[in-house]
Amino acid sequence: MAKIIVVTSGKGGVGKTTSAAAIATGLALRGNKTVVIDFDVGLRNLDLIMGCERRVVYDLINVIQGEAGLNQALIRDKRTENLHILPASQTRDKEALTADGVEKVLEALSQEYDFIVCDSPAGIEHGAQLAMYFADEAIVVTNPEVSSVRDSDRILGLLASKTRRAERSEPPVKEHLLITRYDPNRVTSGDMLTLDDVREILAINLVGLIPESEAVLRASNQGVPVVHDMDSDAGQAYADTVSRLLGEDVPLRFHEFQKKGLLSRMFGGGRR
Amino acid sequence: MSLNMDRAASAFTFKGGMLPMTVMELTSADPEQIRAQLAGKVSQSPAFFQHTPVVLSVERLDEPHLALERICAVCRAHKLLPVAVRGGTDPVKQSAWALGLGWFPPQEARPRAVEEVPLADAPSPEVEATASPTVGRIYRGTVRSGQQISAPEGDLVVVGAVNPGAEVLAAGSVHVYGPLRGRALGGIHGDRQAGIFCQELHAELLSLAGNYKRLEDIDPRLLSQPVQVQLRDDQLNISSLG
Repeated sequence: MAKIIVVTSGKGGVGKTTSAAAIATGLALRGNKTVVIDFDVGLRNLDLIMGCERRVVYDLINVIQGEAGLNQALIRDKRTENLHILPASQTRDKEALTADGVEKVLEALSQEYDFIVCDSPAGIEHGAQLAMYFADEAIVVTNPEVSSVRDSDRILGLLASKTRRAERSEPPVKEHLLITRYDPNRVTSGDMLTLDDVREILAINLVGLIPESEAVLRASNQGVPVVHDMDSDAGQAYADTVSRLLGEDVPLRFHEFQKKGLLSRMFGGGRR
Repeated sequence: MSLNMDRAASAFTFKGGMLPMTVMELTSADPEQIRAQLAGKVSQSPAFFQHTPVVLSVERLDEPHLALERICAVCRAHKLLPVAVRGGTDPVKQSAWALGLGWFPPQEARPRAVEEVPLADAPSPEVEATASPTVGRIYRGTVRSGQQISAPEGDLVVVGAVNPGAEVLAAGSVHVYGPLRGRALGGIHGDRQAGIFCQELHAELLSLAGNYKRLEDIDPRLLSQPVQVQLRDDQLNISSLG
């Protein structure tokens, strides 16, 4: 049986899709059979981030409505073995996403895969609630700023009440906090909330901290998940996150203010 | 010397703690009568009976001997866990110890008023006569943005934080053992005796019996402090508990 992980946040633009792509790729690189599903019907992005937008024929809605088989819709990742992508529909109405349909798809995938990563749309409406409904674990992506923290808090409330595990009184969805776009310099100068501020309010286990990095934007535009870029701080931070998800104890990196050394100031080389 | 002491691995430390505890004040020593009343209570508020620890207070009973074992069995059958006995004669104390329960001396030294603050509006005289000062609702965990936790009767106790965008309401008082960052409303049915208590004040809104104060109206010196809020002459009076 696969473990179903939802990547969610409430707020848009905090890095859900980037994180879902990076974490799914990271899990697959570690030898786990992984599928990542885009739940953002009408605003699909995951295929772009994963660099497979030109190979989309069928999508999740086609499968739910019986117009295509699951294997026809799954796209095999070109770079990573063990990794498949199930894209969302860009044209369909999002009401076509039904709980029964999603359950059947997840059940079928569960037989084949070790991990199912669900990339949730922003907001707390139908699509976001369906993405989290069947989850075993949740990665709550949060930026170090107040509105993102409040929206994540709202999502955590929904995870505790509006999921299958909650409704069946099963053990609750395991919640992980993933802080993205963290800039230690701006935290030091007081522009951003500190790591401790965020942790204190959300009060859940921290699974990773991704520094603000040019590598992320570059990776998105090239359609290569940032974990492939192991020279970058963001790539390493996502790899650490995946290790922690797999239960390993990895020390936290990239959260401290780095004074620029003499050499990097002379040659202008910032962090990649 | 002290280094050696430090190095010895310690298996535990003793710590003083004040835990909220339900006192079950017995006015009858008859296990059958207790059973009948408990059965009724369980059907009214099943959420309360989750292996809730209780202290059996026998101060109001005049009987030198009690069927303590049977009373405990009745409690356990209704998911109440007796952990100690308060008051009673020496034989009562001995039998409490024999049953593995703790024993507290009677509470006569303390002022009665503290114990008898009316925590719930008793719907019928029969309940009023026997109601122990119970808490309306205890919520453990973080109350998150968008969540509303209410105690339509009695007090609300939150063991955890109330986050921004969350709302906690009670007919009686609101107690928050943690930071209060959201909205807290006490005395929602008009109880003017209700209060709000928290360990760290950052509340967006405080309201008692319809009178309110917004975060903006709160003296900044009181923020982040442990405080109590009480109604005085239709004004919310916030004072530090520290």
